Amino acid sequence: MTGRAAPSGPPGDELKTCCADAYSSDAVALLLGDSYHPGGTALTRHLADVLGLAEGSRVLDVASGRGTTALLLAGTYRVHVDGVDYAPANTALAQDAARAAGLAGRAAFTTGDSEQLPYPDAVFDAAVCECALCTFPDKARAAAEFARVLKPGGRLGLTDVTADPARLPAELTGLAARIACVADARPLDEYAAILAGAGLRTVRTERHDQAMVRMLDQIEARLQLLRMTAAGRLTEAGVDLDAAPAVLAAARAAVTAGTLGYALLIAEKPESCSPG
Amino acid sequence: MTQDPPPRRKVDRDEVFVEFTKSICPMCKTPVDAQVNLRDNKVYLRKRCRAHGEFEALVYGDAEEYLASARFNKPGTIPLTFQTEVKDGCPSDCGLCPEHKQHACLGIIEVNTGCNLDCPICFADSGRRRDGYSITHEQCARMLDAFVASEGEAEVVMFSGGEPTLHKHILDFIDLALARPIRNVTLNTNGIRLATDKNFVAELGKRNRAPGRSVNIYLQFDGFDERTHREIRGRDLRAFKQRALDNCAEAGLTATLVAAVERGLNEHELGAVVEYGIDHPAVRSVVFQPVTHSGRHTPFDPLTRLTNPDVVRLIGEQRPDWFRKGDFFPVPCCFPTCRSLTYVLVDGEPGARTVVPIPRLLDVEEHLDYVTNRVLPDARVREALEKLWSASAFMATETTDAKLRATAEALDCADTCGIDLPEAVKDLSDKAFMIVVQDFQDPYTLNVKQLMKCCVEEITPDGRLIPFCAYNSVGYREQVRADMSGVPVAGVVPNALPLADRLADTAHGSRTLRPDTVAATAEQTP
Repeated sequence: MTGRAAPSGPPGDELKTCCADAYSSDAVALLLGDSYHPGGTALTRHLADVLGLAEGSRVLDVASGRGTTALLLAGTYRVHVDGVDYAPANTALAQDAARAAGLAGRAAFTTGDSEQLPYPDAVFDAAVCECALCTFPDKARAAAEFARVLKPGGRLGLTDVTADPARLPAELTGLAARIACVADARPLDEYAAILAGAGLRTVRTERHDQAMVRMLDQIEARLQLLRMTAAGRLTEAGVDLDAAPAVLAAARAAVTAGTLGYALLIAEKPESCSPG
Repeated sequence: MTQDPPPRRKVDRDEVFVEFTKSICPMCKTPVDAQVNLRDNKVYLRKRCRAHGEFEALVYGDAEEYLASARFNKPGTIPLTFQTEVKDGCPSDCGLCPEHKQHACLGIIEVNTGCNLDCPICFADSGRRRDGYSITHEQCARMLDAFVASEGEAEVVMFSGGEPTLHKHILDFIDLALARPIRNVTLNTNGIRLATDKNFVAELGKRNRAPGRSVNIYLQFDGFDERTHREIRGRDLRAFKQRALDNCAEAGLTATLVAAVERGLNEHELGAVVEYGIDHPAVRSVVFQPVTHSGRHTPFDPLTRLTNPDVVRLIGEQRPDWFRKGDFFPVPCCFPTCRSLTYVLVDGEPGARTVVPIPRLLDVEEHLDYVTNRVLPDARVREALEKLWSASAFMATETTDAKLRATAEALDCADTCGIDLPEAVKDLSDKAFMIVVQDFQDPYTLNVKQLMKCCVEEITPDGRLIPFCAYNSVGYREQVRADMSGVPVAGVVPNALPLADRLADTAHGSRTLRPDTVAATAEQTP
């Protein structure tokens, strides 16, 4: 998603690889911590609560990263979780984490593409996707895949960056995507429309913009810590320390202006699925 | 034709009732029922004494945070021994009685009542009058033994007063503490002797070098305006404070700046105190204490007094580049509304500092949530944070250094993400600075719910451990002083504006019930 890796024109697989790379690269891991999305595990719990996950149900975690959410769901809500991520490195780390937590029996991880989910039709009671749809190049295709693998009556729980791309400041359309993945985020109603196009009916939306502010604070604090202790390594990892303050300031201003935020959305697949 | 009166309509109360608890009458100290109510996102404690009427005080400036902090209430630890029995119930059986919910994180020994100042604000009602007491060598040993019997291995004891540096045996007392399983000693002082007696400071420095032990200075430090000094201390002590700290730095002693903060006096100086502390080589922490309206103090309005969230807000307003909402976190060992604190990492030169609050780096909330956290977080990180977010946390002690290191390791994700931070980040304790906000309770604000989990205890010469806020509020301080000195001591009543016409001065400058008020009380009491 840097200028070099995301040429103009249809980005396709190259962009997906780039974004997955960014998310599995060390610098991003360090900056964003164990839980790569605004709201952290507290918002994940809230998401699970509003989804009403029943014990023993089968849940899909799309863009499962290092498995933090999947393991939380498997451990706390006693559900069976399949995690799918585009980065093989993440799959391996998530599998290790599952074994270490004694949850390997309830949490399985696979490398795969959110636009071609490696699962049969109508097998999941619920699916979660945190801070990832905004990074998917073909969002309609991903939404259709969510709909396909959900059982009739199954629910999708989404938390994601919301942005009004036309009004985003220039600082947030380039390098910043790598830090906060905002470049291809959409307004909340557009996410709902994309899901509706796939036959998923939005039943609940919540704004969590403060979670975005807190994540910006956390990123800034981590950058400052690294500047104190390991400025050279940050540069090596490709984080432009000099650009960071302006990007963060622009992001804060955008949250205040309402052009950037974070939201939760619950959508349902109808009981009687229309053909096609 | 007569018209019917308009139908009477029910109206809603203007407050949310959230707790039923116990408190005391601020005038006669009798235990009374109390209720906690929320109005305008603030928390108020209200109570009624059958003899003296109704009283209300602001206890927390942010109702949302008050309710949210309930999750950060750590299960208490049972002390090894109790000193009293349950007889009349809290707060009359101190202490500690078997109903107390927490052990002593911090034990306080007041070595005397005498002082070389007569501060207009002094919860201990100390001063230059010679009608008080000093403890003996034997009494100090007994007090320390009582503390060790209760704690086994104790983390920290504080010597206080009066002015403890005036006690001719204070160095012996410190030695008595260091000869026992007590890891750290902190000396609570106005700094005059530290500023003027370099030999004394050198003696303290020597004791601070004992392996595995530390002696730290808890220096009264209220601000920089001359008015602040005159109104709180009765004297301009600015030069003394500076010299005291310079002498500490020279002797290798670490100091905490302790500010009593009063509305309308020095609430504008909080940011400056933090910055001064960060810049001074001897200072590793700052403690802000809204003035405890026990003992001697200036007149105040209980409904607009300063509380922890107010102090935290003021710090943020005065150093907006450094602090934001959410940077301070409640301390789970006591009741979470009693104390909030944060650690910051500091880098750069004076005037161009980078200040990074640790709660922004690490989700402290995730680790110290004892109620909604159903998956246990990393036990080592939790244990480290529990020790750091504690009433026993003092900077430059072995325990705090070790726990800061453990926290730094939690930030360092070498295992999972391959970036191995250099040694510098593992020795974060050099860059770490602690800021504490502690609202002690007084006879107006006392809530037995909080008192029952208090972890800061006054050790009495007869070997009891009395929660600090009970000692100052319920009448224990007056009893101990009378017993120890043989001079009768009047019951102290807060110098609150609503009580002004019912109070008279005591010999020590605090306030007590006016004699005719006492008589009226006696008639009304059945």
